[in-house]
Amino acid sequence: MDLEADIVVIGGGMAGLVAGIRATEEGMKTVLLRKGQSATAYSSGAIDVIGYLPGGTVPLASPVEGLQGIASMFPLHPYGLLGFTGAESDTVSKTIIEKVRTAVSWLKATLLGSNIPFFGDIDSNLDAVTVLGTVKPTCMIQETMWPGSLMLDEDSVAFFAGVKGFPVFNPRMAAQVFLEHQISNKLPPRKAGHHVLDLAPFGNNYNISSIELARYLDNEDNLSALAKTLKKQADRIGATHIALPPVLGFNRARENQLALQDLTGAHVFELLSFPPSVPGLRLQRGLETAFVKGGGTLLVGHHAKMDSPKSKIVKKVTAVGPRRNLKISTKAVILATGKFIGGGIIGTENGIRESVFDLMTVSESFHIATNVTPQKLTNTLALSHMGHPLFGSGLSVDPQFRPITKEEIHAAENLYAAGSVLAGYNYPAEKSGLGVAIVTGYMASRNAVDYVKGVSA
Amino acid sequence: MSEEEAYRTVLATLKEEAIYPYNEDEIQVVKSVESCINCGLCIQHCPVVAAVGLDRFSGPRSIAVELSRSPPEYWTTADVVYLCTGCGTCREVCPKDVDIPEIVNLIRARIFKHRPDLVPMQLHAADAILVEHGLAFVPWEDPEEKVESRNMRLERLGLRHVPDQVVKGADVLFYPGCQAEERAQEVKESAKIILDHFKVKFTLLEEMNCCGLPATLLGDDETALELALKLKKKVKDLGVKMVVTTCAGCTSNLARIAERDGWGIPVYHMLEYLVEEIGMVKLTSTFKQSTEEKPLRVTLHDPCHLIKHTSRITMDYAGQILSLIPDVEVTESFAHDSCCGGGGLVSYHAADVARAVMKENLAAIEETGASRVVTPCPLCTAQLEDSLFRQGSSVEVDDMTVFIAQRLPRKG
Repeated sequence: MDLEADIVVIGGGMAGLVAGIRATEEGMKTVLLRKGQSATAYSSGAIDVIGYLPGGTVPLASPVEGLQGIASMFPLHPYGLLGFTGAESDTVSKTIIEKVRTAVSWLKATLLGSNIPFFGDIDSNLDAVTVLGTVKPTCMIQETMWPGSLMLDEDSVAFFAGVKGFPVFNPRMAAQVFLEHQISNKLPPRKAGHHVLDLAPFGNNYNISSIELARYLDNEDNLSALAKTLKKQADRIGATHIALPPVLGFNRARENQLALQDLTGAHVFELLSFPPSVPGLRLQRGLETAFVKGGGTLLVGHHAKMDSPKSKIVKKVTAVGPRRNLKISTKAVILATGKFIGGGIIGTENGIRESVFDLMTVSESFHIATNVTPQKLTNTLALSHMGHPLFGSGLSVDPQFRPITKEEIHAAENLYAAGSVLAGYNYPAEKSGLGVAIVTGYMASRNAVDYVKGVSA
Repeated sequence: MSEEEAYRTVLATLKEEAIYPYNEDEIQVVKSVESCINCGLCIQHCPVVAAVGLDRFSGPRSIAVELSRSPPEYWTTADVVYLCTGCGTCREVCPKDVDIPEIVNLIRARIFKHRPDLVPMQLHAADAILVEHGLAFVPWEDPEEKVESRNMRLERLGLRHVPDQVVKGADVLFYPGCQAEERAQEVKESAKIILDHFKVKFTLLEEMNCCGLPATLLGDDETALELALKLKKKVKDLGVKMVVTTCAGCTSNLARIAERDGWGIPVYHMLEYLVEEIGMVKLTSTFKQSTEEKPLRVTLHDPCHLIKHTSRITMDYAGQILSLIPDVEVTESFAHDSCCGGGGLVSYHAADVARAVMKENLAAIEETGASRVVTPCPLCTAQLEDSLFRQGSSVEVDDMTVFIAQRLPRKG
C-alpha cells in the first residue's frame, strides 16, 4: 500500500498536531501518524509556556520575562534556538518573544475554531488552581478553568465541590491547602468551604472516573440536577466562586460553565487535575479536529518504521498499522514522537535511545547520552525545583530544528524534530512542556514547508 | 534423577497444575503487559465500560493486571473476560502498546482448556457448531432453500445473479466468510457482481470453511488452528495470487493467519482491493456511468476489525469510494468508530451488554439525519439493523459491498 505526501508528521501530540495543522494551512499534503494517546491528552489541559527559569525557584510573572532570561542565559534551550537568525544580538530576545507570541496566538485562534476557547497570553502568567488546592503558574487555560476574580477580590468566598465516589478530588483537603496558601501569601479569599455532592452518574456513587462524569454532564438534564444541589450548598456559605473538578463535559464544557453560573449566581470554574484529565482530552480532540478539517490525513494506530535511517534525505516512511504497512513517500519529515510517555525517547539499561531513526541523543547539558543510563541523570531528591536532568535529555538540533549527528551536521536535510523529543529543556521543572511543543512544532513546520517549497520549485 | 528426567517429569505435570506455557506469539503479547504504566486511559475509553459501568465490566486494565500476577490466575477474570467485545480501542489509545485484545484471547484460551465450566454455555454451543461443520453457523439443511433465500434477496435489492465458480489458477480467491455464506448471502452475491464487473478472474472455495476467528475468540485454539490450516491448504491448492473478502473480521484474521502460517499471498478487504488493485482511475470512470439516481444521505460505520485490527486507512478508502458515487452525500456520525457491540461473541451470551454498547452508535446515527448507514462488514450490518429495528428507527443499513454493487452501471 502506498501513499504520497509532502510532509509526514510522526507523532500526534501537541507538537505534531501543531506542525501538521500549519503544514495543511500552507497547502501541503500532510500525513500524520499517531500511535497511542499522546502526553498532551494526558495533560491538565492548561498550556504552560514558561513558569520558572531553568533552576529557578521563583515563579515568573510572565512568559515574556522568562523568554528574555532564556535569550540571554540559555541559548541552546529550544526557545533560545529561535534567536539564531544571524541578526544583531540585542534583537535576539525580541525575535524569540515575537516567534513565541505568533505561535501561541495562532494556536489560541485555532482552538477557538474547534470550540475550545482559551484564556491568557504570553504577557502574563496566570495562577491556576489544582485539585490538590495548590496554585501553579501557567500561560493559558481553557476558559472553563479560569478562576476569575477569586484571588483578587477581597470579599471572595471559595467553594470546593467534589463528587461522592470520584477518587481524584478531595474537596476538603483542596480547600484547606488552598486557603492556607492564600492566607500565608496575604491574598484573598479568606474564606473557603467544601462539600461532596452525591451525583451517582449512571446509578453508581463509587469508583467514578472523570470521563464518566464528563459524559454524564454533557447531558442537559443531568447538568440542571447538578446545578440544583450545587446552588443549595454554595448559598449556605455565600460562595462567590465555585471550584469543580475538571469534568464539565466533552462537547459542552463552556456552555455548561455558563449555564451553571447562570443557575448558581457564582463564578464556576474547573480545577487542574492529574493525568488522564478531561481538559487534556478536549485539547487533543480539538487539535485533531482542526487537523482533519484542514485536509490532513490522520492515521491513528500507526507507528513509523524506517527502512534506511542513514540516508541524507528521508524519502520514505513506513507506517505500521495492526495488520498493514503503508509506504509513504514524502518530501520532508517532522519527528514529534515525544519523550518517555510518547515513546520517542527510550531509556534502557544500555542508555538513552531515539526510537524511530536511532538518532544521537544528548543529556540536558548536551553531552552524548546514547550510552548513559537513565539513573545517572536523576537527582537524589525525588521532588525538587531542579527536577531531574533526565527530562532534559533528547535530540540536539540545529537552528532549523533538524536533529544533528556526532559530526555536528544535520542527520538528514529534510528531517525536522519538535516537541519533547528535543533536549535542552526540563519541562516538569520549568513548566514549559506544551509551550515548547507549540513553538517548536510551529517553527519546524515552517522550516519543513520552506524546504518542500524549495525543492518543488 | 538427572536434570533431563526432572525436566520431563515437570513437563508432564504441567497440565495437572493448570500451567500452559506460552507459545512464541503469546510471549510477545505477555511481555507487552510489562510496559503498562497503570494510567487507566484504556478504562476511560473502553466502550463496554462506558455502556455498562465498571461494576459489570471491570475494564481492560483489570484484565491485563490479572495477567501480570504470578502465577496468572486466569479464571478469576472469567466473569468479565467474556464481556470484552474485542474492539481494540484499549490497544489503540494505549501509549505503551499493551496488546490487551490479544491478552483477552490468551486468557479465554486458558480458561477454555482448564476451566471449561466457566465458559458461557452459548459459547460451548457455538464451538460445537464450529467443530462439527467448520462454519460459524449451522449450514442450510436444504440447499434449495438456500438458493431460494438468495434469490429473494437478489430480487429485493435489484441485483443480478453471477453464478458461483471454482477455477484453479484464478487471480483472486473471493472468501465470503460465514456470515455472507450462510446468512447475508446478498453480500457474497454483490462481491461476485463487483469482481465480474471489473472482469477479474476469480474463484470461490469448493467448500467454504470458517477462518477460525470465532474459535479464537471463544478460546478454542485447537479448532482455530485446525480451521486455519485447512483453509491454507485450500488456498494453496487453488493457486490464487490473492484473497479478497468482504467481512471485516475475516480481513484482520486472514491477514494474521496468512502471515503466521506463511500463505505468501496478500489478503484484502474488498475496499482495499478496489482502491489498490482496481484503482481510483477505473473506479472514477465506472461510477460516472452509474445509473442509480436517487439522492441519498448516508453515514458510515467503521468496523473495529478494519480500523483497529487492520488499519484505519481502510475507512479512508471507504470515504474515497463513496465520494465517487453520484448523489451520495456522507455525513459523519460522532460515534462512527465506536464498537457496535457485535464483536467478541458477546451478543451470544450477553445480548444486553452488546445492545448497551450499541446505544451510543444509535444516538449518533439518528443525529446525522442520514437515511442509511453503510458499513463494510456483514456482522456490523446485522447488529446495526437489529438494533435500529428494535428502536423503531426508519434508518436502513447496507453492507458497503452491496451498496457498491447496486450502484455499478448495469450491463446490457
